[in-house]
Amino acid sequence: MRRTFVVLVVALFGLVFASLVIAHNERQSLRPLAESYVELVPEELGAPNVITGILLTYRAFDTLGEVAVLFMVAAGVGLVLGASDQQSRRSPRKVSGSSSRPSSEIVQSGAQILVPLISIFAAYIIMNGHRSAGGGFQGGAVIASGVLLLVLASTRYRVNLEFLSITESAAGVLFVLTGIAGLIFAGGFLDNRMLPLGQFGAFFSAGAIPILSVLLGVKVGCELSVIIDRFRA
Amino acid sequence: MLELIGSILVLLGAIFHFSAGLGMLRMPDAYTRMQAGTKASTLGNTLILAGLGFYHPEWSLKLLIIICFVLMTNPVSSHALARAAHIIQIPMTRKTTVDALRDSQQRHRGGK
Repeated sequence: MRRTFVVLVVALFGLVFASLVIAHNERQSLRPLAESYVELVPEELGAPNVITGILLTYRAFDTLGEVAVLFMVAAGVGLVLGASDQQSRRSPRKVSGSSSRPSSEIVQSGAQILVPLISIFAAYIIMNGHRSAGGGFQGGAVIASGVLLLVLASTRYRVNLEFLSITESAAGVLFVLTGIAGLIFAGGFLDNRMLPLGQFGAFFSAGAIPILSVLLGVKVGCELSVIIDRFRA
Repeated sequence: MLELIGSILVLLGAIFHFSAGLGMLRMPDAYTRMQAGTKASTLGNTLILAGLGFYHPEWSLKLLIIICFVLMTNPVSSHALARAAHIIQIPMTRKTTVDALRDSQQRHRGGK
């Protein structure tokens, strides 16, 4: 009885997916909206990477909202996990000290070599967001992965939460201020054309997009690092 | 000619990846599976990236960096995983008779 039921469910799923696969025919041309974006971004914003152009200019307000959501997540995780952290701090420290044993020498040396490399890679991703694949969100996640490696490698390593929260707030304020500067000097909130567009594809180009990218990367990196630190046992 | 060398290297890498997958299926316990997966996939990755370097010589510097990164991270991560598995005492297969980590820990305790 149970087996026939399972077979029936699997067959139904197969039917659904098969119909999806059969009905799919690939579009040969772009939709009108995508086409206008592909033409407009390099022309108006001077950014070879269309996606970063859309994310940090046309839909920059949306990006600001996403960062705010991430901030809410960090605050929520702090609210849920921070309380238990305080309780363990009140109880004698030895209990938590004995449960976490130091990681091996190989992991520690590996972290020492890899964390600088990861930081450089994160900076590369953030700074090249307007030219190739990458941008603030991705680079921030890479920064946080470096912090995670440090936390894993050394039990004594403590994330400086105060520094992180100050840096994160400063980056957020600067992001909004850049947006307001766009309102004053260019066409609207978070318009990147307040700075000269520069040569197409150059490192310093695409107006304010690299600056916004850096601020976004710092903010996301700090937020994710705080979340990682909250999950420490 | 370059494309032929690149194709052969990519094919060799794919064979090593296949052996890694086979090892994951066939090996008897967590540790042997881990070593099959790590060693074969490290070599397979290196070979495939080197083959890509023959196809696109202009990518070779970036590919070299990726190879170095894989060579550094893959052994360290599998070492950490294997050590964690040893600490929570995941059993070994009966055919394994040598446990150097346990022996050294016992010697360490005896020395104290």
